[in-house]
Amino acid sequence: MPAHDVLIIGAGLAGQRAALAAAEDGASVAIMSKVHPVRSHSVAAAGGINAAISVDDDWRSHAYDTVKGSDFLGDQDAIEVMCSEAPAEVMELEHMGVTFHRNDKGEMDLRAFGGASTKRTAYVADITGQAMLHVLYEQLLKHHETVARYEEWFTTSLLRDEVGNCCGAIARDVRTGRMESFTAKNVILACGGAGQAYKPTTNGLIVTGDGIAMAYRAGAPLMDMEMVQYHPTCLVETGILITEGARGEGAHLLNANGERFMEKSAPNKMELASRDVVSRAEQIEINEGRGVGPNGAGILLDVTVVPRKRTLEALREIVNLGKDFAGVDITREPIMIRPGQHYIMGGVKTDVDGRTPIEGLYAAGEVACVSVHGGNRLGANSLLDTLIFGRRSGEHAAKRAASMAMPEVDANAQLREDAERLDAIIARPRDGRRVSEIKSELGETMNKYAAVFRDEAGLHGALETIGRLREEANSAWIDDHGTVFNQDVLGALELGYMVDCAEATLIGALERKESRGAQFRTDYPERNDADWLKHIDITLDDHGSPQVSYSPVTITQWQPEERKY
Amino acid sequence: MPEAHDRPAEQFTLKLRRYDPESGNAPYWDEHTVELEPHRSVLEAILQAKDRFDGSIGVRCSCRQAICGSCGVRVNGEPALACHTHLDAAKLGAKDGVIEIEPMGNMPVIKDLIVDMDAVHWKKIQRVTPWLLAKQPVPEREYLVSKESMVDVTQTMACIQCGACVSDCLAMEVDPGFIGPAALAKAYRFVGDPRDDQQLERLTDLAEDPQGIFDCTHCFKCVEACPKGVNPMGQIMRLRRIAIGDHHIVDQNNGERHEAAFTTLIKDNGLLWEAELLPRSYGGNSWFGKFAPPAGKELLSSLPAILKAVVRGKVTPMGALKPHKIPKPDLKAVQAIYEKIESRPERYELNLYITGEDETVETAESFDDPVAAGVTHEIGGSEAPPTGAEPTDLPPGANGPKEG
Amino acid sequence: MKVAYWPGCVSRGFTPELHGSMAKVAPLLDIELVELDRACCTGAGVIAEHNQELADTLNARTFALAQQVDGAELMMNICSTCQGAQSECQERLDANAEYRAHVNTTLAGEGLTYEAGLTNKNFLWLLVEEIGLDTLAARVKRPLTNLKVGPFYGCYIVRPRERLGIDAEHPRDHYLDQVIAALGGTVIEYAGMRKCCGFPIITMNKEASLKQAGRHLGDAIDADADCLVTPCPLCHLNLDLQQPLAAGVVGRQLDMPVLHLPQLVGLALGLDPKELGLSRHVVKPTSVIDWSTSVVAAAA
Repeated sequence: MPAHDVLIIGAGLAGQRAALAAAEDGASVAIMSKVHPVRSHSVAAAGGINAAISVDDDWRSHAYDTVKGSDFLGDQDAIEVMCSEAPAEVMELEHMGVTFHRNDKGEMDLRAFGGASTKRTAYVADITGQAMLHVLYEQLLKHHETVARYEEWFTTSLLRDEVGNCCGAIARDVRTGRMESFTAKNVILACGGAGQAYKPTTNGLIVTGDGIAMAYRAGAPLMDMEMVQYHPTCLVETGILITEGARGEGAHLLNANGERFMEKSAPNKMELASRDVVSRAEQIEINEGRGVGPNGAGILLDVTVVPRKRTLEALREIVNLGKDFAGVDITREPIMIRPGQHYIMGGVKTDVDGRTPIEGLYAAGEVACVSVHGGNRLGANSLLDTLIFGRRSGEHAAKRAASMAMPEVDANAQLREDAERLDAIIARPRDGRRVSEIKSELGETMNKYAAVFRDEAGLHGALETIGRLREEANSAWIDDHGTVFNQDVLGALELGYMVDCAEATLIGALERKESRGAQFRTDYPERNDADWLKHIDITLDDHGSPQVSYSPVTITQWQPEERKY
Repeated sequence: MPEAHDRPAEQFTLKLRRYDPESGNAPYWDEHTVELEPHRSVLEAILQAKDRFDGSIGVRCSCRQAICGSCGVRVNGEPALACHTHLDAAKLGAKDGVIEIEPMGNMPVIKDLIVDMDAVHWKKIQRVTPWLLAKQPVPEREYLVSKESMVDVTQTMACIQCGACVSDCLAMEVDPGFIGPAALAKAYRFVGDPRDDQQLERLTDLAEDPQGIFDCTHCFKCVEACPKGVNPMGQIMRLRRIAIGDHHIVDQNNGERHEAAFTTLIKDNGLLWEAELLPRSYGGNSWFGKFAPPAGKELLSSLPAILKAVVRGKVTPMGALKPHKIPKPDLKAVQAIYEKIESRPERYELNLYITGEDETVETAESFDDPVAAGVTHEIGGSEAPPTGAEPTDLPPGANGPKEG
Repeated sequence: MKVAYWPGCVSRGFTPELHGSMAKVAPLLDIELVELDRACCTGAGVIAEHNQELADTLNARTFALAQQVDGAELMMNICSTCQGAQSECQERLDANAEYRAHVNTTLAGEGLTYEAGLTNKNFLWLLVEEIGLDTLAARVKRPLTNLKVGPFYGCYIVRPRERLGIDAEHPRDHYLDQVIAALGGTVIEYAGMRKCCGFPIITMNKEASLKQAGRHLGDAIDADADCLVTPCPLCHLNLDLQQPLAAGVVGRQLDMPVLHLPQLVGLALGLDPKELGLSRHVVKPTSVIDWSTSVVAAAA
């Protein structure tokens, strides 16, 4: 039974950064991922990472932009931590080898991004996430003696000791089907978001809310789950993301009349207002009949206004995406896009060191809710979030590990339970529905009722549907009865995780009777600070029923004000 | 391609190469017919089959947008990303309209379309010390480096480690120990990074390894396979250029000698003198090269072939012993070109990946063709072949060596 | 049609039967070959490996000389490697006017200038695109009936597709098949037909080089081909001249004749094996010669 000071589940940016930080502080580290680390969805992040590295910039400006972007639901102490540590962190990544693009003086170049009062987004063409993820993985290869990698291992449950502290996890080696229990003094969840509960989504097929659900089931509170970001520019058919970097370089959004409609809702920032503002504006154009395309379901993103040479250099990837997945040369004509599910601001509640209320259990990255993004995340803040809180979690976990003994855990019972659970799924008779069908209905339901515009009736209906889907998921049958690389049974487990996340989102959305950030209730269209300037927490009680509670928003410097772009 | 995207769903038949390691059976073909719009991807087709008919189909996938690198496969015998290959193009290149999908080559198959990349791909990546060996002292802020240098290494940084190039590397097929295109492209990412401290050491290592940069058979398979325009073979040639041109490294494979001899022989004659090229590649770049022991050994082993060629009248003794040259004034002009260019303090290398191509007018045609490469000539260039990001119609496969 | 003709180096060196057969075949197809005897080697990709600008400039010179040939419709080569090496240089020269101007200043000394957009086609492409398969078929005097021909494309003329102008309208990577069929022959497909003959590493890893050649020849034998045909003399060297050694490396008897493209075309157009230089091959194309004699005898 492997035993480590720090066990990290999830090997995207947050997980890998945590691993490096913990290893550097002398901890014995294991990092586990259900896919090869470089397949983690961090790899798809495109536009860049925010940091006030320019001598003309100030981290407080970055912090304010973030607070405003969050529609004042973000915890300002956490935001201060993130923004003040950003410059040093970005330099650290550069020193590791990230190939950040340069200006004419050889310094890191900065581009404009949504909701930012000045240019502060460092970037690598439009493959920043990939560049960073691969460089971090290079470092893990370098540190192979201090960081043990478990690649293609699927975590099935968390281990708790008698007093309820987290002390490890049970996982399955995907290749062989072998189940193993892992002891650890600390566990850091870095499994990302839950986008696959929506259809379509920009997220990869692996983003199924594993970490959120496992923490939830272990009794950790989830926070702000109703805050789901719809990214303004996704390809209409496939939901594939077209980076905000395009708008950062100057691209326009046009309706069917060729108007830059952002003028109406964000006269100053126009296309670079915060994402929730832009998505709503687009959706209104579509709903009011000024959309483009066969069903009037799209909006035009016009990149032709950006000098072609610049597009080919700094937006190379979306030139390819446009061509390969939409058949459009974005340097020659506008491309049709629409809002699509992209990110979940909500997640496992943590403090600024990644700690959840469960001792020994940490969370960092999209899986967590610190909260630095509040009701809406600014573009290029997610890459930053993963690094800052990945690092801090790793450091804190390493420190905690140094002052405690390795837990003595008898995990045999839980190991057996998990194995039996999987076997039971494999053995299910073929009288229910297929996993893929249930997942499809789940995604469509969420995209219809928990999207840009929501209301009571829709949310209620959706919650009922999710209840039924949960039942159906418990009897969903699969085809693969083998042990080697059985993706089918893992898909059934993932479905359960997604249902948990979707349910929490709906509960939070129903609970929050106001519109703030990404949550827009047509039945409660105004922001209501008096009653709702607070986080909504959801925790499973001892009977496994979700209980709603509230926690305060930490305000340090910036009093809530009207949010105008 | 508005036309392609307006076409309604139609049927596509897939033939998947299945392998169940636990069954004890040999690999077999499994056919499924799916219904999708023609511009959708092969991956979507596989997933439809998986969702609707057989959930046990094993395939790695995640992002669906050619960035995570999971879904490397062979489509109709050619390496590709499944998510990045349009169904209509795949069908066009298919035998009898049935799209064949197999696991990637050169790597052991674990199950169905899933291969063991650790055993081959990642092992080779690790071989090239794939992390920055940073120049000291590390500055407080960022290293100050030129704009062009970062754009340059972005090309190799863009590698998504999908393994398509490794899958069909022809040198690796006959020489499995060859370090290979992915790893060598990764090596360039560091050699070309001005912040790396060990350019000489890296090049020496990779040049002196007999299965390193001089083991590449120069076949362009990797260039074609790469979905991200990394141009691995081009990077290998750059590594050779820098190793020899800047650091004068002499390898064990006769690579440096061969290149020197070839170049000199053209300078001296204008045309290739095959009979001199061979001994000089082994013995050194001079007329006396043929007397060096390695050259002698090689000439001896080539003697049968040479004798046969002489006997058949393919080559005359004089033809072998004397070069054929271009006319004197032209040879002088060629030599003047050599002198001018080789006397530059620094090599002048046009890198189309950095400069981009001039605006051209002729893109319209290739674009309307729903099946032809959607890529224009505008992107990339010879240092990066026009992205390679286009899912093109694939030729009917050579029935490549099957796994398992 | 008149073409500016670049015969390459090896066709005048170690594969003279290629040069000779092309000269014999051209008039039968109404091709007037204006040989670029002032031009130098394309570098075969090796000079580019040494210095890119040098390769580009030497080839720009050749292009400029071709453009000076009065009345020539295009430039033609008889070697895939020349095609590939030249296409790579041309891609750079055509893509960037500043670079082209820079290269032209070097050529100015001789009074030469390269203008972007030269059409440079291998004989194989010319056959299909300029002469046309129907015209070719119409001129066939000795159809290759019952002759099973395996096309060996190799590398430089089929990859990378973009650079070589291969697309749905110009399936150049299938032209050999089409030509064989137009000449009346049976096309034999086999695993190695678009793989590498190994020539580029013959001095750098002889065993790997010959293993490639040996395997592809073996594949063709297993597919029951009577002979191979190739548009590249360097492939020919590794497949024919080196065949005895290759057989040793792969541990099997080979004896697979390899023809140059003009030789195959010449046979179909009625020329006899001797004048096409078939007797000069290291691997005697006995099966082909026998076939041709039997056909002639039957016709007689």
